[in-house]
Amino acid sequence: MIQLIHVSKQYDQRLALSDVTFEIGKGEFVLLMGPSGAGKSTLLRMLIGAERPDEGQIFVHQKNVTTIRPSEVPYLRRKVGTVFQDFRLLPKKSVFDNVALPLLVQGVSSADIRRKVTEALRAVGVEHKRDQLPAGLSTGEQQRVCIARAIVNGPVVLLADEPTGNLDPALTSEIIELFKLINARGTTVVVATHDPLVMMQVNRRVLTLSQGRLLPEQRVMG
Amino acid sequence: MRTNRTTTMVAILTTAFTLACVGVFLLLYVNLRTAAGWLQDDVKIMVYLDDRLAPDSVVEVEQRLRGDRAVASLLFFSKEQALGEFKAQFPSESHLLEGLGQNPLPASFVVALSPSFRSPDAIKRWAERVRQDSGVSKVDYNQDWIDALATVIRSIELVAIGIGVILSAAAVTIIANTIRLTLFARRDEIAILRLIGATTSFIRVPYLLEGAVLGALGSALSLAMLKFMYELFRQQMRTMGRFAGLDNLIAFFPPSVCLALVAVGMGLGVAGSFVSMRRFGEAKA
Repeated sequence: MIQLIHVSKQYDQRLALSDVTFEIGKGEFVLLMGPSGAGKSTLLRMLIGAERPDEGQIFVHQKNVTTIRPSEVPYLRRKVGTVFQDFRLLPKKSVFDNVALPLLVQGVSSADIRRKVTEALRAVGVEHKRDQLPAGLSTGEQQRVCIARAIVNGPVVLLADEPTGNLDPALTSEIIELFKLINARGTTVVVATHDPLVMMQVNRRVLTLSQGRLLPEQRVMG
Repeated sequence: MRTNRTTTMVAILTTAFTLACVGVFLLLYVNLRTAAGWLQDDVKIMVYLDDRLAPDSVVEVEQRLRGDRAVASLLFFSKEQALGEFKAQFPSESHLLEGLGQNPLPASFVVALSPSFRSPDAIKRWAERVRQDSGVSKVDYNQDWIDALATVIRSIELVAIGIGVILSAAAVTIIANTIRLTLFARRDEIAILRLIGATTSFIRVPYLLEGAVLGALGSALSLAMLKFMYELFRQQMRTMGRFAGLDNLIAFFPPSVCLALVAVGMGLGVAGSFVSMRRFGEAKA
């Protein structure tokens, strides 16, 4: 599903990624670990075509992201759902409208939008908040809405960049459980985090980045 | 547009004032062109006959002129009629001619040309040709006046084009800045849209439409301002004795031109939006 071959990226004099090679299969749940500045966000941004590597090749869902044309990037992003640490919800739009956004940009009919948004909100447990504005939600609820938006159009891959960075341990567990559920339905999930608590709870394959380099792989068995 | 209501209003007003300035020149130009057309249509060419010409030869010249496809109408003006006209127009100078004993004024034909021969060049060519004909002593028409008017119109045309280009660029800049403010206010929203797979056209279309609406409203408002000024000007002319009657000769843009100007405003608005989006990079993600 995701393949990186000798990927390197440099910003000015700083090396963000150095000769990174790995493969993630369909339906896998992978944690991308490492301290801040290790290159996790850069890697995720590359997977959605927001950054290009200086060297190497990246394939997502059989598409070479390194050579992708700018006009093809939106179609790649429709197959890859993204969850952010800061949620990135539109403050003036209701929960329903926020979650409907990915379907709206694809020109999905209003009947289908209603059905799919309701399903997504139900899946993450915030269906009762559909008419509220993001500001009226707790941080955990906001992250759930963000996840609902990422899965509403049935992506093949779900990328999450520090999704529990703003959450307490209890909420972190809830969100991780949600990712597990989404993964159980067949979606490949990649979670970038520096939080060891997440690693303990996920118990899956771990890729660790340190100063842009991929460390030997470890698998946490629960 | 709702995000920056004040900025939008200011942009529409500034665009309207800018386009109204262009409109003033355009209106002046259109009216002068119309007036020039009337004058051109009204050109009467005097074909003066040789004083020694026998009556038979006068008929010959007349037949020749009548047979000319450039000639639309013809009026004979005898020596006596010319004298009568002179006395009527210059009563205080009529004693000058009486002193000469005989009437020095030549007989003439007053010729009006067909519409396709009324351009300054065609008139000139026709006059040159007829001047060579036997029995014709002189061909005269008010060409200087027409040429002078044509020069004035050309100058106004150039000024209108120059001012039009500069002020249109100003309108594009004004709209571009307004759209940029909107883009700036919505940069987060645009970035999110990009991340969830919105295409460039999905993101751009609303802003292009906003630019089009701003341009069209600005243009429509400028036409309303122009129409108001035009009516005010006509009213002033009507009350000023010397120009009474002239007010009916000046005209406002016909509806088709008004629509075209609104379309031009719309086009400038779209251009402004486009420039702004190119510079802003649409909050690339």
